[in-house]
Amino acid sequence: MRKQMIISVMSKDRPGIIASITGAIYRLGGDVADLNQTVLCGYLTMILSVSFEPEVTKEDVLAAISHIKTDCKFEVSIKEVAHNPEETEIEPPETYILTVQGPNKAGIVHGISQFCFEHNINILDLATTLKNDQYTMALQLDLTRSASSVETLQKELEEYSRQSNLTVMIQHNDIFQVTNEVSLH
Amino acid sequence: MLRSDQILATVEMIQKENLDVRTVTMGINLLDCRGGDIDATCDRIKKKIFSYAGNFVATCNEMSRKYGIPVVNKRIAVTPIALVGAGFHKEDFVRLAVTLDEAASSVGVDILGGFSAQVEKGMTATDREYIASIPEALAATDKVCASINIATTQKGINMDALAMMGRTIKELAEKTAHQDGFGAAKFVVFCNQPGDNPFMAGAIHGVEEADAVLNVGVSGPGVIARALERLIHHHPEPGTLQLDELAEEIKQTTFRVTRCGELIGRAVSKSLGIEFGVVDLSLAPTPTVGDSVGEIFKILGVDAIGAPGSTAILAMLNDAVKKGGIFASKTVGGLSGAFIPVMEDAMLAEAVGEGSLCLEKLEAMTCVCSVGLDMVAIPGSVDADTISAIIADEMALGVINCKTTAARLIPVPGKEAGELVNFGGLFGASPIMALKNVGKSSRFIAWGGRMPAPIHSFKN
Repeated sequence: MRKQMIISVMSKDRPGIIASITGAIYRLGGDVADLNQTVLCGYLTMILSVSFEPEVTKEDVLAAISHIKTDCKFEVSIKEVAHNPEETEIEPPETYILTVQGPNKAGIVHGISQFCFEHNINILDLATTLKNDQYTMALQLDLTRSASSVETLQKELEEYSRQSNLTVMIQHNDIFQVTNEVSLH
Repeated sequence: MLRSDQILATVEMIQKENLDVRTVTMGINLLDCRGGDIDATCDRIKKKIFSYAGNFVATCNEMSRKYGIPVVNKRIAVTPIALVGAGFHKEDFVRLAVTLDEAASSVGVDILGGFSAQVEKGMTATDREYIASIPEALAATDKVCASINIATTQKGINMDALAMMGRTIKELAEKTAHQDGFGAAKFVVFCNQPGDNPFMAGAIHGVEEADAVLNVGVSGPGVIARALERLIHHHPEPGTLQLDELAEEIKQTTFRVTRCGELIGRAVSKSLGIEFGVVDLSLAPTPTVGDSVGEIFKILGVDAIGAPGSTAILAMLNDAVKKGGIFASKTVGGLSGAFIPVMEDAMLAEAVGEGSLCLEKLEAMTCVCSVGLDMVAIPGSVDADTISAIIADEMALGVINCKTTAARLIPVPGKEAGELVNFGGLFGASPIMALKNVGKSSRFIAWGGRMPAPIHSFKN
């Protein structure tokens, strides 16, 4: 049984980071199952799900990544996971998109994420943009564990909009898919 | 997840731009409801409509809540009633209309269409009884809409039926004189009437259809108007934006609007276990400010609706709507195009009041858009033959151009050109349109018989 590891890497962005990291993993016999990366303010962060032969240790992986020649040192964190993460990642049948728009101020992300937490809503994806001092946030949400219905959440978010001076809306993900993608699901 | 800008474009469309699904219309076959007598027939009709549509409105509302998009109208279309009531007499057809009205109320739909006949080539004795019943049937009911197909490209125009139309419309308006002739707003005369149109007053459940089917009518003039305004706002420098780019914007916006209609329609269809039919790609305005097709004319560059250029604009709009919608939906049908129902569109109605939009220009515009002379209030004094002749011109446009055309004219009893008529709600309001050359077409209408089908209909 191969060993599963979740590896996260942060570094100043430059060409070749993914090639270097996956090269080090490849030389250790690792198989990258999944990889997600994003760049923010010139910094890259990525998270990888990798399987290795049982004799490969976290320390081996860390040493291999640390030996990569680079101007900016990689900040690396590695976790061994007991089982194949794919088994637990079941896409919920229905997801919702929550959008937040308004003038930039401190605490917007916290306020919304706290709202989600209090309603037992899992945030699957989140993206924000700041343009002309207008803050925009879009979240993909899984409501399956929440005790509140969508109608209740909509009403509460209307109230939240009024109090926070933000425009907050929640809408079924299918609407966004059908209006933006060519294929009709 | 999608990009934030895509998400926000959709949010704008839904929350700020009047996006809705204009109608979900359930078509129900009533051919198997003919009983031994009128009582048995009425009983079967009620039972059949209830069996299919009992949960229809609740399901539409549920899907509307789930997706956050209003479904403005829930409607039913039935098999043309002249076929269902074969052998019945005038008073029986009135009973059938009342039964349909009661059935519509019992399931909570807004309107029911299909009090109809198809007489493009000839009329049976039943068809004549049906036509004779129309004024009383529509005056006695609230939710029933009637339509009649008197012409097709394949068969030409039934001029005998045409002559009866002017008289029927006049009688219908006079029977509902206390409501400014509102009855005539529930009756439409067609050429090439489709059997899967979800919009009223002309929705029927064609004989080619399955036992029950769901058709969806999308909306969206407001959404398109706002999208065009935004595009124009982002190109303030002269010469940086051309008409093809505006057409492209209409196309893409229609794609999104149509997709929402398809999504809701299919969700309702799946939930009810009833076959999904078509999305009708028509741009249907409402009297609400900001939900007007007329407004799009002004945005696209004419200062008055009806000014030279208006027909060209409508041609482009209609074409772009079809191009965007046809790719968005698995199955399209119905009327599919831009509507210009005068009373139902506040800016078109205003143009009539200002004198910029006259009947002749409207008629020209109907050559390039779907449907025809729709919801046009005319003076009550106009004679029946003139009304028939206006309809004849509209039918000829449809016959020759192989397209659907229709006429829904309302001769408002006791009122003359320029006076205001207001039906309220989605039927809207408008000044009465002045007509030229009234009373000069009677000899033409008196010929009767048939106007032959055009040469290009013979394709076998």
